[in-house]
Amino acid sequence: MNLWDPRTDYVDPAAGAAPADAWATAPDALPRPEVTPPQVTSYGAAELAVACDIYPLGMQAALQRAPRFKVRTAVLNAAAPKVVSIPIGRTSLKVRSFLFPALTEALLAKQRGQHLPPPPAKPQPKPAPHGEETCERRDARRVRMRPPRDIVKLEDRLMYLLEPPVESWLARESLSFPFQPFPYQLEGIAFLYPRTMAVLADEMGLGKTMQAITSIRLLLHSREVTSVLLVCPKPLVTNWKREFALWAPEVPIVIIEGDQAKRRFQWLLPAPVKIANYELLQRDQELLLDRDRHFDLVVLDESQRIKNRGSTTSQIVRSISRRRSWALTGTPVENSAEDLIGIFEFVSPGYLGNHMSPRQLGDAASEHVLRRTKDKVLTDMPPRLFRDVEIDLSPEQRESYRLAEEEGVLRLTEMGDSATIQHVFELVLRLKQIANFDPATGESAKLDRLRADLEEVAASGRKAIVFSQWVWTLQRLARELQAFNPLEYHGKIPPKKRDAIIEEFRHNPKRHVMLISYGAGGVGLNLQFSQYVFLFDRWWNPAIEDQAINRAHRIGAAGAVTVSRFLACGTIEQRIDNILREKRELFDTIFSGAEPGRKLGLTQEEVFGLFQLKCPTGPIKFVA
Amino acid sequence: MAAEAQIPALGFLTVVEDAEHGLFGGYLVLNLIGRPLEFHCTTPLKANRAQQILYGPTLAPYLYGEQIAQTLIRKGAVKPRTVFTDQTAVLAARQHVDVPLVLAVDDAASQPAGDATRRIDPPQTALKRFGWGRQPLAVDVASATDEQLVLDRLSDVAQDFDLLEPFGRIREAIAEASRN
Repeated sequence: MNLWDPRTDYVDPAAGAAPADAWATAPDALPRPEVTPPQVTSYGAAELAVACDIYPLGMQAALQRAPRFKVRTAVLNAAAPKVVSIPIGRTSLKVRSFLFPALTEALLAKQRGQHLPPPPAKPQPKPAPHGEETCERRDARRVRMRPPRDIVKLEDRLMYLLEPPVESWLARESLSFPFQPFPYQLEGIAFLYPRTMAVLADEMGLGKTMQAITSIRLLLHSREVTSVLLVCPKPLVTNWKREFALWAPEVPIVIIEGDQAKRRFQWLLPAPVKIANYELLQRDQELLLDRDRHFDLVVLDESQRIKNRGSTTSQIVRSISRRRSWALTGTPVENSAEDLIGIFEFVSPGYLGNHMSPRQLGDAASEHVLRRTKDKVLTDMPPRLFRDVEIDLSPEQRESYRLAEEEGVLRLTEMGDSATIQHVFELVLRLKQIANFDPATGESAKLDRLRADLEEVAASGRKAIVFSQWVWTLQRLARELQAFNPLEYHGKIPPKKRDAIIEEFRHNPKRHVMLISYGAGGVGLNLQFSQYVFLFDRWWNPAIEDQAINRAHRIGAAGAVTVSRFLACGTIEQRIDNILREKRELFDTIFSGAEPGRKLGLTQEEVFGLFQLKCPTGPIKFVA
Repeated sequence: MAAEAQIPALGFLTVVEDAEHGLFGGYLVLNLIGRPLEFHCTTPLKANRAQQILYGPTLAPYLYGEQIAQTLIRKGAVKPRTVFTDQTAVLAARQHVDVPLVLAVDDAASQPAGDATRRIDPPQTALKRFGWGRQPLAVDVASATDEQLVLDRLSDVAQDFDLLEPFGRIREAIAEASRN
């Protein structure tokens, strides 16, 4: 018999199980049905059909009782599903904005009703006559400006950082150039333009003038500056005037010159660029330092002129009211590190000090100094060929030299502690003069050698320049070298005639030789059409000699430049030459970061040591 | 939106991705000789996880175009004739701004390793390509009429104006600004 056991087929979820006595307590009167478990589809109480078997157990009465069910209600826990919303939304985005002066200028121009036409297409400038650099080559590496470290305001840094590459800026502005600038010159412009403190210390002949003028030009065009004062040695004023006409023909310049009334008027003119010479600054000090006079930029050419901080010139230029200070020099260190410190007193007062080692000086100055040499940037520049021409004096000249030296040394010895450095110098100069020309006989082994060399120069149709530190030596040479039709360029030639002399030397093929003093012709002259340089006597300072050599070996030089350094054997000249070599090492130390190989400067002991003399007093710093 | 001045100018907009901070947008407005008039850059933007999942392949246009480019262009004081970008995803901003947005195509550039600026690959955007001088350009096909508008507006700009060079400036400026 199949029994449907409600305890197993129906479970009250609330009770968990059917009561144990559910069927056992069924009424006895009910017959026991033969049933199979019904197919129950609903468990509602009213429809419940319960099947059960009844067994004759003597408990019918009990079986006849109706079954009792306990009903418990179970609540199904089926709440509605929760919804989670994920916001995508816009993320907050902050913007930093920078507006630049060019915008202000454009808006002002627009207000004034000025139309700003786009720059006209213009032909590419021709390449430099000696250069093979092409536009295509340069496009590969654009020159960008970099803000110097001393500019801290982000807006100012971005202003320079976002300027276009220098070459495309120059191309887009209506700026004409006689020649394509070299890449290193563009780098020089990118260096100068953003700087308030700068020393452009390129080797002579690399075009510092052009770089300075172009930087000034761009600053004027962008209205970053409106008033510029350029100070240079007097002989170079006409050179600057000429270079401005060449590289910035649209920029009006005023040369400060003439009598005081005229100069007073010139100082007051609103010209964007004024050019004055160092000598004049002292005379116009009162006008220059007027409380109302201010320059956006002051540029010092040949700034080694202010290396001596105590000099009047240095004090005056440092007193000029200005916002930017640039120094141009090919020789930032002529004698000692103090030269550089002196220049920086103008560029950035107090930035460098005597307490700093050469390496510290070099590190500190590096941010503000740009120094390139021809060897590094003009790889296609014709070479300089140095010839140290050791000359044996004639017996007579040798004898004159020997007597003069012995006599001079004897006198110095007798002077004992009263001998000064000046006394030693006098002897040095005397001996150098004898090495040039024997005062007794007029003989000159150097002249003989020079004459022989010049014959070769003239025969080949070339030109040569001869340097000496003495005018009288040059005049003597002029007389002796008449066969070569020499020209003279020195302190006794009136400045007004000097430009004409240069032009005569440049264009007259019969003029093979120009005799130049280190003082008058050491700087600013462009004599790149000369293939030979003769240093008839030696200067104390290698930087001065370099300047002289670079009159010929500079941009535009058509071929190799041969430099002949005359050296009278066994004389003071050889001893001086050793000193020059050591000074050159000093320069290399500061600008290469290497430790100095020797004590800086030329001590008094060393000067006296030229003649094996004992130094009478303590050390002095520099003697030349 | 800032008041926009009518000065002959061109806009350049790019987005730089920094692995640590996210996306930086930079917008440079130049006059016709290439000098900067204004520059705007955003604080870094990083997509959250939900955006990454839900935007899927449209995330780059959303971030580059809708979020960054639109915000930057609206900040400009000058309304440029055209805004150039070097990233396709930026073109999505076109529907939100009223200045033509053009892709300056750098055909010569191969994707350099470690170049973070194009690491989010935009979905395939249908482009209408054309050229200005030797410079290939493209606009979103949805803004195909911009082509003639752009060519007209560039008619007096020097043909050798390098439309790719300013993006290098923007990247450097963003790096400089983020250091500050």
